[in-house]
Amino acid sequence: MLTKKQKRINWILVGFLLLLSLFFLFPVLWMLANSFKPDAAITADMNSIAAFVPPVPNGSFFENYITILTNTNFVRYMANTLFYAAVLILLGIVVNGLAGYALAKIRFPFREQWLLIIMMLLIVPTETVITIHFLIIAKAGLLNTVLGYILPMIVNPFNIFLFRQVFVSLPDDVYEAAQLDFCGPAKYFFTMVLPMSKTVVATVSVFTFLNVWNDYLWPSLVFTSSDLLTAQIGLNSITSNDNTTMGQTLAVITLVTIPVIIIYSLFSKQIVEGVTSTGSKEG
Amino acid sequence: MKRKNSIMGMAFFGPALVLLTLFLFLPMVLTFGFSFTDYFALNPELTHFVGLENYLNIFKDELFVKSFLNTVKFVLIIVPLQCGGALLLAMAINRAAHCKKYFKVAFFIPVVMSLAVVSTLWMQIYSPEGILNTLLGQIGIQTQPFIHSADQALPSIAIMSVWQGMGYQMIIFLGGLQNINPALYEAAEMDHATSWKKFKDITLPELKPLCVFVFITVTIGAFRMLVQPMVMTGGGPDHSTYTIVYDIYETGTVNWEMGLASTMAIVFTIFVVVLTIIQNILTKDKEGKHVNKKAKKN
Repeated sequence: MLTKKQKRINWILVGFLLLLSLFFLFPVLWMLANSFKPDAAITADMNSIAAFVPPVPNGSFFENYITILTNTNFVRYMANTLFYAAVLILLGIVVNGLAGYALAKIRFPFREQWLLIIMMLLIVPTETVITIHFLIIAKAGLLNTVLGYILPMIVNPFNIFLFRQVFVSLPDDVYEAAQLDFCGPAKYFFTMVLPMSKTVVATVSVFTFLNVWNDYLWPSLVFTSSDLLTAQIGLNSITSNDNTTMGQTLAVITLVTIPVIIIYSLFSKQIVEGVTSTGSKEG
Repeated sequence: MKRKNSIMGMAFFGPALVLLTLFLFLPMVLTFGFSFTDYFALNPELTHFVGLENYLNIFKDELFVKSFLNTVKFVLIIVPLQCGGALLLAMAINRAAHCKKYFKVAFFIPVVMSLAVVSTLWMQIYSPEGILNTLLGQIGIQTQPFIHSADQALPSIAIMSVWQGMGYQMIIFLGGLQNINPALYEAAEMDHATSWKKFKDITLPELKPLCVFVFITVTIGAFRMLVQPMVMTGGGPDHSTYTIVYDIYETGTVNWEMGLASTMAIVFTIFVVVLTIIQNILTKDKEGKHVNKKAKKN
């Protein structure tokens, strides 16, 4: 039980943190409130607390959002990104999952060496190879194609390692039983291994989604055609247009953020566990 | 059986291996090879082997030196603020008996927002007529140029990055704090230890491996600074927010000077690898001592 003094300290601490969180989130609150206002109102409200209060809903409440959704290619960009994310999640689970499984359970030549190499690859920052990716994709004539964008992003040493760590603790006897059975190794992987490892599949999917959705550099290099852009690059081309108002800019960035907020609220447990595990694994 | 295993192993590992070769091994070998040439991607026939010339030249190149120093400035501002801020926040939230869940979410929100979104938002916030200048005006501070001046652009972007990234390390520290054995604090309380003493003698030593990990990952993250200046300032004003990775990107994909860009990439990679090795040595060492200490106690 807390003593009286501890209770008082606790309330001061909680009060302080509440104030701090409001102060901390002021850019986000300002973004949300003003994405519903015309520019004149944004400027007029700037000097008072009204800057953080959304306007009274009326006929033009969603004006900025409607303009963005109807007058620009934005819906297309969002749909593109969702499609890329879905493809990369599927291919990523198959390619990295199979590799992780091989490294965990199949005794093939040089397995330990491969595992060591994969772990060493975790150190190499993407920036080292991104100009060469660009060169390879350009030479292959795949610039400005979906394939050119997706190919370098499928394989991920970190995800291979993550899958391997989980698969290694699966029981061996089930695998041996499946070998004797008519059920082949590939079928066994998809019908038994993956369903038994829902947590790691969910973690990898969520992080792949966030990665694809928020990525900026690679899509900005590969795509030049406005039909294929991802939401982040599309957002930049919309907001850098001189005809876009401040209110519309705030509406676009709010729209781009909505999917990640949804994912975060659905999978916050996986996300927090994923984040904490990066710490505990290394530390 | 052995044969079957190697066939099956390769069938399972093969797809990943092909992609790893194409998009990691080959690029790494090429980057290393190109770094000793004057490879110009628009005219590859004219490529010469130039030995270590690029490595000497980039450090004579004013722009690269400037981008290098800018990157160091980013690191020096971001690392203490982000690591220290995250640790203080985590300790405060860990002690709070109410609204814990809300705090964890509130301070984590900027982490899930993308760099492009955050940069675009803060461009509005930092604008001369923007909300930040208005708020500062109300407490009597005159209008600041922020990202529009060569003096303030870098610290402005650095502070925005701290704001965005801090929640991630806060969650890591919270996980660490929750793993500390409460009996340690109870014992200290019986000795009437002050809060500072508890922090110094229990919290910090228990969190040490985690602190090293956070310190190094934040340093590497700050070292990789690119998207924020790219969106907000284009590296300006007067190249004051131009970074190493920005230079690699422009030299390689805008000017097509792959030779030079590769040299820069190798120098950059060496820094990152050295930092990671230091981290591994420090955390391994600490873990070892940690175990010994526990063993002695028993």
